[in-house]
Amino acid sequence: MRFLPLIWSGIWRKPGRTILIFLQVSVALALFGMLQGLKTGVEHLIAEARADLLIVHTRESFSAASLPLGMLEQIKSLPGVKVVDPVELFGGTFQKPTQQVGIVAVRPDEDWTSAFTFLIAPEYLDAFRKTRTGALAREELARKYGWRVGDHVPLQTNVAQLSGTKDWTFDMVGTFTDSDIGGGSDNILINFAYVDEARLVGKGTVQHFNVAVSDPKLALTVADEIDRRFANSSNETRTESLRELAQSNMQAIGDLNFLIRAIVGAVFVALLFATATMTMQSIRERTPELAVLKTVGFTDGSVFVLVLMEALVVYVTAAAFGLALATLVFPFAARIVPGLSMPWVIVAVGVASAVLVALISAAVPAVRAARLNVATALAER
Amino acid sequence: MNFLRQFLGILRVSLSGVAERVGPVLTIIIGITCAVGVLVSMLAMGTGARRQEIGDARPDRVVLNSIGAQGNQSSIPRDEAAVSLNLPYIKKDINGEPIVVFTSFVPSEGQRRVTGNRMFLPLVGTTTNLIEFQPEMRFTGGRMFHRGLHELIASNPCARQFTGFDIGDRRSIHGSDWTIVGHFDQGYSQQCVVYADVDTLMSTFSRNTYSRISLMLQSAADYNSFRRALQANPTLHLEARHEREAAEEQFKELNSLLSFVSYFIGTIMAIGATLGAMNSLYSIVDARRRELATLRAIGFGSGAIVASILCESILLALPGALLGGLLAWALFNGLSVSPFGFNFQLEVTPSLAMLGVMWALGMGLLGGLLPGLRAARVPVTTALRAT
Repeated sequence: MRFLPLIWSGIWRKPGRTILIFLQVSVALALFGMLQGLKTGVEHLIAEARADLLIVHTRESFSAASLPLGMLEQIKSLPGVKVVDPVELFGGTFQKPTQQVGIVAVRPDEDWTSAFTFLIAPEYLDAFRKTRTGALAREELARKYGWRVGDHVPLQTNVAQLSGTKDWTFDMVGTFTDSDIGGGSDNILINFAYVDEARLVGKGTVQHFNVAVSDPKLALTVADEIDRRFANSSNETRTESLRELAQSNMQAIGDLNFLIRAIVGAVFVALLFATATMTMQSIRERTPELAVLKTVGFTDGSVFVLVLMEALVVYVTAAAFGLALATLVFPFAARIVPGLSMPWVIVAVGVASAVLVALISAAVPAVRAARLNVATALAER
Repeated sequence: MNFLRQFLGILRVSLSGVAERVGPVLTIIIGITCAVGVLVSMLAMGTGARRQEIGDARPDRVVLNSIGAQGNQSSIPRDEAAVSLNLPYIKKDINGEPIVVFTSFVPSEGQRRVTGNRMFLPLVGTTTNLIEFQPEMRFTGGRMFHRGLHELIASNPCARQFTGFDIGDRRSIHGSDWTIVGHFDQGYSQQCVVYADVDTLMSTFSRNTYSRISLMLQSAADYNSFRRALQANPTLHLEARHEREAAEEQFKELNSLLSFVSYFIGTIMAIGATLGAMNSLYSIVDARRRELATLRAIGFGSGAIVASILCESILLALPGALLGGLLAWALFNGLSVSPFGFNFQLEVTPSLAMLGVMWALGMGLLGGLLPGLRAARVPVTTALRAT
């Protein structure tokens, strides 16, 4: 404990220098926390994405072509399949071309929500099932445009109705939340039956099927089973879990791993060099003071610890400050990737690397301080 | 004149002392090297992407989309497309046919050679006169696809990146077998793209509408007349844009994202480097307190002292900038990245290097300002008395 005042006065011996080092470490750790934190955060979300929820789409890609609605019964009859629901996606805009809304048409059959990641209140669920032209808006979206239950919401789309118009009007019956990371935040749910009957082209087709399996452990087997069932037909399928889908969607970011690593590497090289030089300089300037400490009875060991502790205190508080700054960007990032938050492992790694930087840059000066010969040091004065 | 002599004198003394202050000097250089290196390599992504997007664009090429449609979402009915062939100002090929290309866009996936991951690639149905429309397209192997057959041609980046795109390979698309019959390069583009006969592809996917129409004008000057003719035609609900405009719009989001991320990270790195430079210069100034006070005592002006410290700071920043630009070029120039399904090469250009130098000058100036002022304000008597 008797060290504390000494450490404190050592830190504030040159306030300007300490503040600059503090800021430098903070900036470096803030950048590290943001880049590495976003990357790892996304990876965590992918790992948490549901592997037991399957998506059946055409073999070419997610949105290349449609599948006939008739396949639904065939998929349903396969062993291990619990619920199958058709999904049709199309884009719309609300009032202005810039206000885009994703339209997701589903069939609210019994137990349909088990094939999705949506969370819907029972009364909304009931209203949605009973209202043919009903729509559920994602909570954020409803708040954004001030939609309330009972509103008629007109949307401009690229899907023509029988009458030729591409404008659709839906009746708001409630809201929902979605835990899927790839879900997009500006979505509404509508009734597939309504769309399919009212649209001009593409009747009886669907973009993909969502499948819930009865036993999560069997998800892979069921996926293979579905693809085998339609192999060599004109509607070859590819069935993947939500997790696999999230993985391939996020692969784009994975390609930038190399770049992220290079940046973080550059940050730490520059930081280490700057801090090591500064600590060295600082100890050199304080040679006489350290010599006095030794004269009054401080051992070599305690001088060594003193120098190290000073660096540790500054770097670790700076790291905490920098990482706290980094977490500020996560609420913004969560608008694009829902559920994203700063992973604790990155905070831990950040603090640990600050400790490491402190130890490396203070090691040589600390050894020098410990080995200091009192007589020569004082003679220099 | 006196100011200049004083300034140069101090600067000469400062620079001759560089060798004794290896630590702080290297801190400045390394810090700025890293900041400039990162900024330049990040911006090189944007430059590479732009080169790829619009490097091949020509003013005499025009893209037609249905009015109000965005990107590839356009849907142009066949009858409208047929009418567009008769529009004026369109260039004719040697057989007297107008150079108008109909395309239909199908998102597809390929399997990466190295990782085995599946990744987006565009499968584009097009007409065979594509070669006349895009003279920059060069076949490096095989031949063009034939009309009405299940044949594909793939750009060389496809064959490099993905499995199953060698000539003679068969790919199953929507229940039918398609054969790869040709490989080609496409100007600056490093994007993997696969072409097929548009009508065959559309019947495979039971589509009735084209995604876009591209055409070549007799001359770039005809653009406005062509637009007027298009607007005057009541049967066509299409809008015309220069090829370059269309590409810029399509990649607007990618470009703004890339430049936002580049400048965001670059700025943070620059702040870090500036702080480092400031700290180093403070310690250099501190170490020279007596010397600087002596200069003041014998009549050197404060202005000359500040100017010489600033100049020293900038001179130390410059090698960092050059080194950073050089490192970015050596490590990353020509590196292929494929964020968000677009594939392009990083491109470190002289103008990017210049930008890096400008930033370094800024860091040097900001970093040197406070230490310079401190040096000029040192009270002569205390400084001389100090150890």
